[in-house]
Amino acid sequence: MIEMEDIRKIYRTQHVETHALTNFTITIDSGEFVSVMGPSGSGKTTLLNIAGLLDTFERGRYVLDGEDVSRLSDREMSAIRNQKIGFIFQSFNLIPDLNVFDNVDVPLRYRGLGGVERRAAIDKALEVVGLSARTKHYPAQLSGGQQQRVAVARALVGNPSLILADEPTGNLDSAMANDVMDLLETINDMETTIVMVTHEPELAARAQRRLHLLDGRLIDLEADERPTPLVAQPDGSSSARV
Amino acid sequence: MFGYLIRIALLSLRRNPVLSSLLIAAIALGVAVSTAFVTVYYIYSGDPIPSKSDRLYYVQMDNWNPDRPYSRNRPEIPPEQITYRDMRGIMASEIPTYQSGMFVASLTIHPPKAEQRPSRERVRMCFADFFPMFEVPFAYGGGWDRGSDRNLEPVVVLDAITNDRLFGGGNSVGKSLRIEDRQFTVTGVLAPWRPSPRFYDTHTGASQVPEGIYMPLEFVREFEVETAGNLLIWSDYDENAGFEAFLGSEAIWIQMWVQLDTSEQRQAYSDFLDAYVLEQKKLGRFGRPLNNRLLDVMGWLKDQEVVPEEATGLLVLSLLFLLVCAVNLIGILLGKFLSRAPEVGVRRALGASRASVFLQHIVECEVVGIIGGLFGLGLSALFLRLINRLLDNSGQFGLDLPMVAAGIGLALIAGLVAGLYPAWRICRLAPAVHLKLQ
Repeated sequence: MIEMEDIRKIYRTQHVETHALTNFTITIDSGEFVSVMGPSGSGKTTLLNIAGLLDTFERGRYVLDGEDVSRLSDREMSAIRNQKIGFIFQSFNLIPDLNVFDNVDVPLRYRGLGGVERRAAIDKALEVVGLSARTKHYPAQLSGGQQQRVAVARALVGNPSLILADEPTGNLDSAMANDVMDLLETINDMETTIVMVTHEPELAARAQRRLHLLDGRLIDLEADERPTPLVAQPDGSSSARV
Repeated sequence: MFGYLIRIALLSLRRNPVLSSLLIAAIALGVAVSTAFVTVYYIYSGDPIPSKSDRLYYVQMDNWNPDRPYSRNRPEIPPEQITYRDMRGIMASEIPTYQSGMFVASLTIHPPKAEQRPSRERVRMCFADFFPMFEVPFAYGGGWDRGSDRNLEPVVVLDAITNDRLFGGGNSVGKSLRIEDRQFTVTGVLAPWRPSPRFYDTHTGASQVPEGIYMPLEFVREFEVETAGNLLIWSDYDENAGFEAFLGSEAIWIQMWVQLDTSEQRQAYSDFLDAYVLEQKKLGRFGRPLNNRLLDVMGWLKDQEVVPEEATGLLVLSLLFLLVCAVNLIGILLGKFLSRAPEVGVRRALGASRASVFLQHIVECEVVGIIGGLFGLGLSALFLRLINRLLDNSGQFGLDLPMVAAGIGLALIAGLVAGLYPAWRICRLAPAVHLKLQ
């Protein structure tokens, strides 16, 4: 799903040059659930932004779902974000003026779908996150956990192949955090690739693979105890992820 | 998608009612002022009779003082009106499809109701052709015929307002009305008619409403009435010589219009005018070089500079005022949009392209523009009522459909001017920077 090769990302101000990612190379297979940990400033969010085509990079190559997306136009990147990627943010990032239904509707609006199609997709996504009864509620009328579930539904509604979650449980208590993690695992079981940035080791441990970043470099790769997903080969056989 | 963008825009406006009201008020004020003066300019500069303005001609002949031109500033132009005797002379032509000399008089009208007192009214004295030539609409009856002119029949046409006042409205054809000391029979009642500008007589004010009463011009002899408009004379004239002497004098006070439908007709009439003047020269009149002029309606209005310089100046100023209003909104809109950067970041993450974000914010500006424009049109109608009252209370200046469209157009342009830069700035923001901030 994600192949990054020798990616370098530098943030420059007038006097300071910050290397957010340095010679960063990684492969994440389709259907994987990967957690990313690391101290503040280690490049976790930069990795997510580049993976989500929200930011560009100076050097390297990025192949997403078999397509080289290293140098695309804004319109092309927007279309890929809209069709292939779902985002979940720490502070939910719901639009306060829109009710639950309309918040979940936002990505579909940019896809140009008809009303009937959109409604069916929204109903389905809200059913997955258990909020079918709250479609008319506004974000301010929901708890933090409910808001994050709306955000999950919004990420899910376009049926993306990749979900990028940036500290999705960071603003939730442990019970709500577990709910959201359960939800992410359910989504992952539907063969959706998930990359999740988190500071909490116990939540990171629920992912199939944990990545550790330090100063923009990948310092540790380890697989967890869960079985490694098989990747379909062109000849019909399967092989383990490398 | 547009419906969705308009809904988002309305939600955004509702989020901060005070700021939104300020934006709308600024556009409304700019649109009100500019639409009002665009309307004034439009009324002054418009074609008052587009169906035949290129076939109606104002007739001028130079019978002015042989020693000096009629106009020192424009020595090439003939006088703007003609004498009664020349009007009679050229009315003998059978070339024009329609023709009418005319002037405005002030006559005493005796209302049929006993309780109403006689009053002096402005009366257009003209020939039968006046009505078909200027396509004057009738609610009841019609104008008199050429026979009534020849036989000096006491007939009269009223406009709707005068008919309401004198007869209480309705079909007054056949009713009798006393003018001066003679009874006249009503042959027709006009439907509302307001040529703007009032092209057929610019001397008494192009912004004036048409007269309320029309009667055959030849009653000028019976009533011995002089014009209530402009009268100029260059030659010596004995005021005690009597009215017939006045009618035979070189005093210019008659306006003359003809309808010439073809170029051949125009050429023939032009030749006729030349022949007429050359014949008059033999009689010792028309001491100046041959200088007849036939101007069509728009040419005549341009020649008369019916669009006052003030109207043009005010038009430019009002459009600049709208521009200033719009430019002042740029900063406010920029602040408003930038405060929403995190939301824009979310939309970008969810698939909105820069173009989509730009369009969303332009639509918001245009929604402000349209709401402001609608309020502005209301204000503009009030401004125009004020202008009407200040000028002549004629009600000439009003918002018709093209002016409403112009007002909305100006509002949309103002919205665009105000919104282009802020929308461009917000769509260029890097989404990743603002996602963490929400």
